[in-house]
Amino acid sequence: MNATPLLETRTLTLRAAGRCLVEGLDWRVQAGERWCVIGRNGAGKSLVLRALAGLSVPDRAGEVLWQGRAQPDWPVGAAAALRALMPQQAQDRFALTVERTLALSAVVADAGVQGTGELMHALDIAGLAGRRVDQLSGGERQRVALAQCTVQGAALMLLDEPVSFQDPAHQQVVGRWLVDAVPAGSGRQAWIATAHDPSWIGRVATHVLALSGDGRWEAGPVDAVLCAPVLARTYGCAWRSVEGAWLPV
Amino acid sequence: MPSRDPAFLRIAVLALATALVAALALGLGSGGWDWPLIVSLRAPRVAAAAGVGSLLALAGLSLQVLLRNPLADPYVLGHSSGASVGALAALLLGVHLWIGAAAGALVAGLALLWLARPALAVADDASPRLILLGAMLAAIFGSIATLLLALVPDERLRGAIFWMVGDLSGADASLWNLAAAGLFVAWLWWRGRSVDRLMLGADAAWLLGEPVRRLRLELLLLASVAVGLAVATAGAIGFVGLVVAQGWRLAGVLRTRELALLSAMSGAALLMAADLLARMVAAPLELPVGAVMALIGAPCFIWFLARGVK
Repeated sequence: MNATPLLETRTLTLRAAGRCLVEGLDWRVQAGERWCVIGRNGAGKSLVLRALAGLSVPDRAGEVLWQGRAQPDWPVGAAAALRALMPQQAQDRFALTVERTLALSAVVADAGVQGTGELMHALDIAGLAGRRVDQLSGGERQRVALAQCTVQGAALMLLDEPVSFQDPAHQQVVGRWLVDAVPAGSGRQAWIATAHDPSWIGRVATHVLALSGDGRWEAGPVDAVLCAPVLARTYGCAWRSVEGAWLPV
Repeated sequence: MPSRDPAFLRIAVLALATALVAALALGLGSGGWDWPLIVSLRAPRVAAAAGVGSLLALAGLSLQVLLRNPLADPYVLGHSSGASVGALAALLLGVHLWIGAAAGALVAGLALLWLARPALAVADDASPRLILLGAMLAAIFGSIATLLLALVPDERLRGAIFWMVGDLSGADASLWNLAAAGLFVAWLWWRGRSVDRLMLGADAAWLLGEPVRRLRLELLLLASVAVGLAVATAGAIGFVGLVVAQGWRLAGVLRTRELALLSAMSGAALLMAADLLARMVAAPLELPVGAVMALIGAPCFIWFLARGVK
């Protein structure tokens, strides 16, 4: 039960532009957990993911541990096998094909990850293999980025808004795939994704981290956190649940 | 995924074409087909053109990846004029010419990276800004070189044309340049996959386990030495790196390994051909090859820019 967590933060504090966004975050993520991070625009969701990935952030204090070992102690190569980050927006400067981009993103050769062909089929990007990444639509590029993140084979996947550009059908496709990728309570992997739609989150996540944007936060199982009072505090408006769907009032 | 065969075919065809250009450059010109003339006069010049062309093409390729900007070129971004200043300083101080030139190119490169750092760090996308900063650095170093030439009238210093646009007349038959180009290709081949990943972005490459800082430093050092050698031999010839590496990218070659081999060969072929033109067009007068290269390269730059090339 008390296995070394995949990810642990100790009093992690993040500030940006003079504001304290997250204060004293003590948080554990185990393998087999699917976390969604919620919060208003600018509440620090992306910043949290960057800090968890080990990328530079303007102002941070506290500790992040991967598998019980402090972030700075990880060699860059070993870290690549442990965590992957899907950025909110890909910065494509060269005309690489989807297939080539995926080939370059593979790190862990035998991670028990499904084959690239199967993965591309599951994410509905099988037809894009020969296309240039800089000429895809926003939604297509986002699903390719998710595939990139997956073929890296890391135990912990950090996904910055994996469905923000997806149409309703593809939100379902990606959501189903995310649930299948990390079977609850088992396996070696976990993911942490930022997202906005509480109804979608209720279907795919096992846990939720809610950020108020003023330093306060709340972390726990989805049923405990995804409730009217926390949603109201997080977004600043009232919410009601109608047949499993959350609606702002 | 392109199979090995088209890549092999491209390389083979290009090798033949490069050999053909070399043969033409050796055989054509005032004086005609005269063996002693070819050996004593044309061969050194053709070898110099080939070496300089290769080095500039490889430097352009490296800078494009380093700065994540497909329009990067050592001439456009001020590395070449930095090398000119370094070479002139070396001449005045009595140091080896190419060492001064390489140091000058390195200083220009570091200055550009430092100036563009805020933009590169925030969005990892500093295209227009980077080119403008580079152009201004080129203007600054260019005027320093001009001032040095004006203030220190010295017969050891070659003329302004040499340092501003480049010239191959009187170039030494240094095989060092070709050897350096070979080593550069070998390094790019060895580091091919890492350099490929750098094209995904600095953060992305780092997340994939690449030692990004060291990789970028290596790229900058190699490009600086290449530009230094090229400028010490032939002055500030521009646009070779832009036309060659970007041309192959447009043709669909995106792997660093293949790109390095193709760029080295076609850089050599391009500059040999440009020098042949420079010798033939107004024979018996000789034009500076750098001016011919700029007439080919600058319109390409404009065309790439207009097309929004990636």
